Amino acid sequence: MLPMRPELLKGHLDALLLAVLAAGPQHGYAVIEALRTGSDGALDLPTGTVYPALHRLERAGLITSDWETVGGRRRRAYRLTPAGLAALGEQRAVWEQFSTAVTTILGGRAWPATA
Amino acid sequence: MAGNRVTRAAASSPAASSPAALSPLDAYLGELASLLQGPRRRRTRILAELGDGLHQAIGDRVAAGVPRAAAETEAIADFGTPQAVADAFTGELATAYARRTIALYIATGPLVGIWWLLLLQPHPWRAGLVALLVAIPVLPLVAIAILAAATTLATTGRLIRWLPEAGPRRVVAAVLAVAGLVLAADITVIAIYTGSGIPWRPLAMIAVAASLVRIVGSLITVRHAASFVRFRRRRARSGRRTDIG
Repeated sequence: MLPMRPELLKGHLDALLLAVLAAGPQHGYAVIEALRTGSDGALDLPTGTVYPALHRLERAGLITSDWETVGGRRRRAYRLTPAGLAALGEQRAVWEQFSTAVTTILGGRAWPATA
Repeated sequence: MAGNRVTRAAASSPAASSPAALSPLDAYLGELASLLQGPRRRRTRILAELGDGLHQAIGDRVAAGVPRAAAETEAIADFGTPQAVADAFTGELATAYARRTIALYIATGPLVGIWWLLLLQPHPWRAGLVALLVAIPVLPLVAIAILAAATTLATTGRLIRWLPEAGPRRVVAAVLAVAGLVLAADITVIAIYTGSGIPWRPLAMIAVAASLVRIVGSLITVRHAASFVRFRRRRARSGRRTDIG
């Protein structure tokens, strides 16, 4: 795999976190691990530095969190809000458009007729 | 302070020579706790959340067959240095502090303002904005403070989906501005009343007492907010070495 600059993925961290939570409620560590394994190591941020992004999304009302007790340990579980689901839809559409444009130019393919 | 130094030393060499009572995980969380600045409840939540995440990370590795000590060292390395984690949280903590402080000003503002309004309101037959401003000349200061407070809450909360988000630097500056304006308004209004020579009434006592309490609150706020500014400057001076990414 070619080396990927971390800022490439970092710019899309919000959307990626929302996408992971679209599958269902999860606690912070599981969300970040899903990102790391899902991106095949391309998102190489220290785990602890991704938590603030979750807190910011919560402040924006895109996700919400609650303490729950699992096996005697208190654990903060995050879930997507309806606003978060809508934001994820928007981000997906933006990404779709952006990636089509970049693929077309970098790949030297013909522009899609609908774009 | 001495305690911080001990945990810091232990965290920098997790596997070696750490005191028997302090596991690398505890040392890590201890150092992180000493580096976080912001509302206590928020810091407690961060430490609990990261502590749980680290336990999970260690548990996953142990389940995969990694020896416990190595699992701890690996998991801690994956989480990033306490400095990097604390730096990553600086913005969120500053914003949380600012939102809480501004909400407190908005909630308690009417409890102070009402007494001054009752005390200084112009005679009923002298109505109008000019008469009100002459009677209570600090009203423009209060209006600017309310505007700054409302703007800050709006640009750091749920509305950031539609409004441009205010960064931590601007948010802390807004807290300093609100505290400064309210401080100036409280001092001015007390000075006006005591200088007017009007005999003291119980209502005046309540108004002055309410303002004095808020003056103390504002001075504490200025101190806290200024410490955020200093904290950020110190970070900037210590270089980008600790930045994430």
